[in-house]
Amino acid sequence: MTPPSQTQQSDAMIRITGLRFRYRGSDFRLHVPDLEIDRGASVAFTGPSGSGKTTLVNLIAGICTPGDGRITVDGVDVHALGDSARRRFRIRNLGLVFQEFELIEYLDVLDNILLPYRIASELKLDPSIRRRAVELADTVAIGDKLRRFVRRLSHGERQRVALCRALLTRPGLVLADEPTGNLDPANKLHVLDLLFDCAREAGATLVVITHDHDLLHRFDRVVDFRQFHDTPEASPA
Amino acid sequence: MTDLLYMSWRYVAYHWMKSVILVAAIALIVFIPAGLRVLVHQGEIQLRARAQATPLLLGSRDSPLELALNALYFSADRPETMDFSATSDITASGLADAIPVYVRFRSQGDPIVGTTIDYFPFRGLELAAGRQMATLGECVVGAAVAADRGLAPGDHVISSPATFFDLAGVYPLKMRVAGVLASSDSPDDHAIFVDLKTAWIIEGLGHGHQDLAQAGAGAEILRRDGSNIVGNAAVREYQEITPDNIGSFHFHRDMATLPITAVIAVPPDRKSRTLLLGRYQSDQRRQLLSPIEVVDTLLATVFSVENVVVAALAAVGFATLALVVLVFMLSLRLRRGEIATMSRIGGSRARIASILGMEMAGVLVMALVTAGVLTLATGQLAPEVVRMVLSR
Amino acid sequence: MRMTLAMAMITLGLLEAGCDRHAGSADGGAPPEKRPVVYVVNYPLQYFAQRIAGDRAQVRFPVPAGRDPASWLPAPDRIAEFQSADLIVLNGAGYAKWVETASLPPSKVVNTSASFSDAYIEATGTMTHSHGPAGAHTHAGTAVTTWIDFRQAAAQAQAIGDALTALRPGQADLVGANLGALRDDLLGLDARMKEIARRIGDTPLIASHPVYQYWARRYGLNVRTVTWEPDVVPDAEALGELKSILTGHPARVMIWEGEPDSRSVELLGSFGLASMVFNPCGNVPQRGDFLTVMRQNIADIERVGASP
Repeated sequence: MTPPSQTQQSDAMIRITGLRFRYRGSDFRLHVPDLEIDRGASVAFTGPSGSGKTTLVNLIAGICTPGDGRITVDGVDVHALGDSARRRFRIRNLGLVFQEFELIEYLDVLDNILLPYRIASELKLDPSIRRRAVELADTVAIGDKLRRFVRRLSHGERQRVALCRALLTRPGLVLADEPTGNLDPANKLHVLDLLFDCAREAGATLVVITHDHDLLHRFDRVVDFRQFHDTPEASPA
Repeated sequence: MTDLLYMSWRYVAYHWMKSVILVAAIALIVFIPAGLRVLVHQGEIQLRARAQATPLLLGSRDSPLELALNALYFSADRPETMDFSATSDITASGLADAIPVYVRFRSQGDPIVGTTIDYFPFRGLELAAGRQMATLGECVVGAAVAADRGLAPGDHVISSPATFFDLAGVYPLKMRVAGVLASSDSPDDHAIFVDLKTAWIIEGLGHGHQDLAQAGAGAEILRRDGSNIVGNAAVREYQEITPDNIGSFHFHRDMATLPITAVIAVPPDRKSRTLLLGRYQSDQRRQLLSPIEVVDTLLATVFSVENVVVAALAAVGFATLALVVLVFMLSLRLRRGEIATMSRIGGSRARIASILGMEMAGVLVMALVTAGVLTLATGQLAPEVVRMVLSR
Repeated sequence: MRMTLAMAMITLGLLEAGCDRHAGSADGGAPPEKRPVVYVVNYPLQYFAQRIAGDRAQVRFPVPAGRDPASWLPAPDRIAEFQSADLIVLNGAGYAKWVETASLPPSKVVNTSASFSDAYIEATGTMTHSHGPAGAHTHAGTAVTTWIDFRQAAAQAQAIGDALTALRPGQADLVGANLGALRDDLLGLDARMKEIARRIGDTPLIASHPVYQYWARRYGLNVRTVTWEPDVVPDAEALGELKSILTGHPARVMIWEGEPDSRSVELLGSFGLASMVFNPCGNVPQRGDFLTVMRQNIADIERVGASP
């Protein structure tokens, strides 16, 4: 069988087939026989802790490599790429939002947003990028705090900074791991609204890991990971 | 490259205290031996230059180093004095010109050098303002003394008392500045030059006072012994020599017996030099030495000490560098989360490694630059530091 | 034609300039030495220096005419001139008191009486002082007119000659010849004075001022001294002092250092004293020079020896 071209266009942003993964020295096993996520869709990954939600997100992002199976993102077979190529692909095409925000403490808000352009040589930081960063900050209402260090921001403000960082490169896919997990209810809704709005505006596919069932109704689709964990076969949602 | 530098700079600036300590520690390890070398080198230059410019020194048979430092650098440690007649002994030999030097007193810390007019052409000293000292009570000041104190011809300097609490000791003498010397980059810049007789007057070996033979001097007279008038303690001595009272200044001893600390002997040729050295070889009271030989002996000791100090510093340096490496390693550990974040976002390994490495390189560069600046500053200040050490 | 003439003139001019350059160096091209500048403190030394150096030195004697060089006090700028000289000729024996408080470069100073410093005469009649019961006395001072002992004058001239030779060794022959001639003149004065003094014997003499000590010692003259000025008429106290001296020292002649006031001469005449002038010639004489003045002095004193 001829492997599909890495640059083949598809309506599915993410296509996973026959994916198997295990951590060395651990009993954990992830098996995703078949999963497709449409371009532009908003999808929630739910399931109990340890069911493999973050693992799958890492596999999609190319941070880990599967033992078996195939993952294509925007038509690119991620794991056919070498580590450097995966990193390049990731930083250009994916935006990642983390539960713990994972901002750089010695950079101010603006520099945190601009971080992808400083850590990847193929991304050129020019005045247009700086303007976009400022616009993104204004959009999420932190435009007046650009020169603050993150330790002086509230949780909600920090997650908004992380959101701007994830969206700066205009990614086609935004992967958010528990983006509202550390936020109070008011900020939770606000950040989620921003996430949805920015993804929609950018036409990006949004995948969000969440434990909060009150939010599931907002997604186009919910994937329950109980079906993928430690079973020889998984059924699509 | 700009981004790497920017990221490393932001890290270093945010953790400024750690950065300052690291920079300071590395800079000190580099600067201390370098600065020491600069100081020693400058000391060597100054000592040798001055010593080479002084053919021979005659002094009492005491410490040769003390004699050399006092005569060449006007150090406060004064060797045993000898009679002024030692000067004429040299002259009478026909083997050298003789320039007496008497360095004992100070004025606000600056040495007062009693000597003769011959000293100035010998040292190549020229006047920048005013004129040469002409009479008792006048002085010529070095360029640095004039600059530090804002002195010009016509101003005055006052000699400091030998001891503060000695009421029977030497009184201060007010001296008129006749001239200011041009800068010579030598200890002469920091000295006040007076005629030898003025130095003896400062010491109290000569003085001026009211004429006891005058009619109004009754209260100052103890008794009369024939043609000699014995004055009492009420005789008030002049503390300043003026054109009106200069005629009253006198000495009560034969000037040949008055003290000096050294004689600079300037033989016209090597043969005269050798003959003169031979004459004083077995002299029990005096020594005639070659300043350059004394200085070279001193420098040999200094170099030995320097080597020991540098070796000790090297050991400390290794320990410090080991600690610095440990700090960097601990720093990397603390930055694991940041490294993981950048990796997950998609930063390249090389880029992330460069950011981390640039921080260390930045600290090292700043330390080296700091050490370099300090060493350069030491080089600028070294002549003054060495001069102060030698003249203490 | 004009061009040829111009070229010829230019060529001649260049040749002449070339000759001029060599004119001062007929002995082989060395530039002429600068004449040394010699400063002296009294006229006798000026005379000696000029006789010895001829036109090979610039001898300068800055004391104004009519002033006593022994007591002259130069201003600092004058002292600076001495300092800048190539040779500073001092009389020694405490002459020119300003020297004791001035800063002169010893390498340029020659004390012309150093060779007979052990023969200095202590000045009498001056007060000394000391401080406290055990304090050392001040020095009483010495007589200063060393040159009117003409043998000493010759020694002083010798010192000047030696110093000039050391300064300009290349002129040793000239200096030596000139010095020899001067010494002959001075020793001639000495011989003449000795002869006259023999005739005078121990005839009592009075001197108006204590300046004749060396002269009296050298020539064995019996001289007592008062302290009178030629231009000041002695008062009663001075005359009383004179009278008291004459009691034990029946002098018939008063020796003045300068032309006395006629009234002084008259007063002395009433004491039976004739006046004569023996000019020590410390400063430049109004007429003649040192040698002529001394010859005149000797001629005048000879009349004392000739008179009964």
